[in-house]
Amino acid sequence: MGFLITTAIFAVIGIIACLCTRICCNRGPSANLFHLTLVITATICCWMMWAIVYLAQMKPLIVPILSGE
Amino acid sequence: MGEVAPGGGCLPPMDLFRSEPMQLIQLIIPIESAHRTVSYLGDLGLLQFKDLNSEKSPFQRTYAAQIKRCGEMARKLRFFKEQMIKAGVSPKGSTTEFDANIDNIEIKLAEIESELSEMNANGEKLQRTYNELVEYKLVLQKAGDFFHSAQSRAVEQQREYESRHLSGESMETPLLQDQELPGDSSKPVKLGFLAGLVPREKSVAFERILFRATRGNVFLRQTAVENPVTDPVSGEKTEKNVFVVFYAGEKVKGKILKICDAFGANRYPFAEELGKQAQMISEVSGKLAELKTTIDAGLLHRVNLLQNIGTQYEQWNLLVRKEKSIHHTLNMLSLDVTKKCLVAEGWSPVFATKQVQDALKRAAKDSNSQVSAILQVLHTRESPPTYFRTNKFTSPYQGIIDSYGVAKYQEANPTVFTVVTFPFLFAVMFGDWGHGICLLLAALYFIVREKKLSSQKLDDITEMTFGGRYIIFMMALFSIYTGFIYNEFFSVPFPLFAPSAYECRDLSCRDSTTIGLIKTGPTYPFGLDPVWHGTRSELPFLNSLKMKMSILLGVAQMNLGIIMSYCNARFFKNSVNVWFQFIPQMIFLNSLFGYLSLLIIVKWCTGSQADLYHVMIYMFLSPTDDLGENQLFAGQKNLQLVLLLLAGVAVPWMLLPKPFILKKQHEARHGDESYAPLPNTEESLQVESNHDSHGHEEFEFSEIFVHQLIHTIEFVLGAVSNTASYLRLWALSLAHSELSSVFYEKVLMLAWGYNNVIILIVGLIVFIFATVGVLLVMETLSAFLHALRLHWVEYQNKFYEGDGYLFHPFSFSLLDEEDDVL
Repeated sequence: MGFLITTAIFAVIGIIACLCTRICCNRGPSANLFHLTLVITATICCWMMWAIVYLAQMKPLIVPILSGE
Repeated sequence: MGEVAPGGGCLPPMDLFRSEPMQLIQLIIPIESAHRTVSYLGDLGLLQFKDLNSEKSPFQRTYAAQIKRCGEMARKLRFFKEQMIKAGVSPKGSTTEFDANIDNIEIKLAEIESELSEMNANGEKLQRTYNELVEYKLVLQKAGDFFHSAQSRAVEQQREYESRHLSGESMETPLLQDQELPGDSSKPVKLGFLAGLVPREKSVAFERILFRATRGNVFLRQTAVENPVTDPVSGEKTEKNVFVVFYAGEKVKGKILKICDAFGANRYPFAEELGKQAQMISEVSGKLAELKTTIDAGLLHRVNLLQNIGTQYEQWNLLVRKEKSIHHTLNMLSLDVTKKCLVAEGWSPVFATKQVQDALKRAAKDSNSQVSAILQVLHTRESPPTYFRTNKFTSPYQGIIDSYGVAKYQEANPTVFTVVTFPFLFAVMFGDWGHGICLLLAALYFIVREKKLSSQKLDDITEMTFGGRYIIFMMALFSIYTGFIYNEFFSVPFPLFAPSAYECRDLSCRDSTTIGLIKTGPTYPFGLDPVWHGTRSELPFLNSLKMKMSILLGVAQMNLGIIMSYCNARFFKNSVNVWFQFIPQMIFLNSLFGYLSLLIIVKWCTGSQADLYHVMIYMFLSPTDDLGENQLFAGQKNLQLVLLLLAGVAVPWMLLPKPFILKKQHEARHGDESYAPLPNTEESLQVESNHDSHGHEEFEFSEIFVHQLIHTIEFVLGAVSNTASYLRLWALSLAHSELSSVFYEKVLMLAWGYNNVIILIVGLIVFIFATVGVLLVMETLSAFLHALRLHWVEYQNKFYEGDGYLFHPFSFSLLDEEDDVL
């Protein structure tokens, strides 16, 4: 799975979560916007974390050296 | 000032993003319905009264007498509570109807108080008599024993003597023997004696003093009483000795009496004859039994009374506190000149206008007042209080922000993003899904038992944990996520998502400990490749990764902070701040650290060997030099030059224009003001006082300039130091994973290696305690504090002014918290 596919999965999960909060707790436009902000922020945070770790492992300059035992 | 709010800002209205629009309202309340009106407003709890009599002392105010009365009633209730606690009666809520008239309650409380205190006095007196009698009985018994044994010995001696006398009537019998015989009844000496009880710890000193004072002319006998005795005077249980002291002469008696008093030794009358003693004992026993029943009956009566109080205590207490707070509030209102109306002023959210009006109408109707209270909105230049409508999920986050500083009225609220970024940054430092699950269970325990726990009184630490249960819940969720990313479950990795991407270079795998493995498959799809765990290159790899991740996350969050400042500037229609603060700040931060982030990503994507430190340092030292092997992409040198230039321009851009523009604006406004029609001035001043923190009446250019200078320096230096500060994410996360792997390997695995059940169990216990104590409690706390700091300092200093004040409505539901204040 490449970078873009997983990113797309994150985006889909984010959108589903947004829809869920919209359907489950619909409490007026201003509250909905607040929930949307929370979900989007959470999705972006999680994606960033994953993306950073993924990118760092794509072309490694250091390789694992097993400790001799 | 609610009129300023709509429009503006970069977002449509969002919950919690701006504090509620407030208005200053004036209420004119007829005096006959004032009490009820204030009471209904207290039930509503959406109006913060202003003190209109602040120049008056508490005693000069209109309702000082009523407050005193309430204070007196509260004192009585406290007295009842003390008595109930002493008697072990707990107040329990009852649903019975009760008389809500405060005057009747006052009378009732006074009655109960006098009854209770009378009962207490009687009970005390009886108890004292009872204790005295108990002591007396002890004296009678012990001293009686003593007398009895002494007498029997004397009789024995007499008999012995007589027998000797009879048998030995010989030549050897001394002639003068008669005079030397002890206990000789033929020559009576008048000896007096006193009997009583003395505390055991003082008994030795007592004896010594008696001996010295009388020069040894006393005879003291003591016997210990086995069980502690209740002292009639102090009412405390003490160990005591019964004593009998024999003396000769009235003078000595006086001395002994004084010494007895000084030692707290209670004396009791004592008869010498045995018959009389027995009679006394039976008499005392009878009296004791009688007293006992009386005391018991009294106690029962008292407990009944206290239980009676207990059923209504909570209601009375609440009513009295309400009454007191109502009068406190009434004292803040000013009396109209006609003395028929009270005038109130206060802040209230705009949305509550209707509710306030309803309360006023209901109060007028219920108190049969002819006229209803009048509500009108006042215009003021004062800054309104800050009020966020939070729920149980968002209120602890708001609490975190408020403890740094209460937002300025309608300022962008950092809480909106903090709800997510706070637990996220925590989790970056606390990434372990095993620990995350433990934390989640703890949070769920609190959340499930929420209803029960919130009604209980908890100790400090539990209270704090309970208050932050939703924060802990979110922290736990994110920790589980980052735990999967770091691939750590109590520091053990699991290949959950795919096989490792690394393999040996050849079949023999000889190189794996020297040169290392080689990446053959596709990159591990989610999180860290499990192969890294325990390798020699694990630390260098993780350090490089986490350090770079800290910088990337930090730059992102700081950018978010600067964008928030843009939202503020737009909302308050302050284009100066957009052009001369937001834009240069964005340029400065991103041309240095945004560029660094870009380099990090490019390096990862291309696998370049370039040294980023070198690139960044030489970007400043010699920007025109060729980058050589450190070049990551074409045109990098030119880009760097441009960025450096932009950063260089951004600093004076931030510093210079703003003070001059403010000065010009001030002059223009000043010119306008003197000729503008009056209502306009009011409006514009209102807007100004709200928008422009420096817009005082007097415009001090040098002050503004110095302020701007400080602000600029702070930002420029802050950009560097704050980015560095985000490296704490790396440090804490490293510390966490190292600690947990030490506990796992050096405790659990070591114990496992012995192949011994007992060692394994001990190892397991040590491991659990270390995990809970160090990792789950201390590490959570330290990661929490560091996340807190990152939000308070690194994130909020980009936009948050935090110089507002909280909205404190007059509300009965908040009475409990103000208990100590009132």
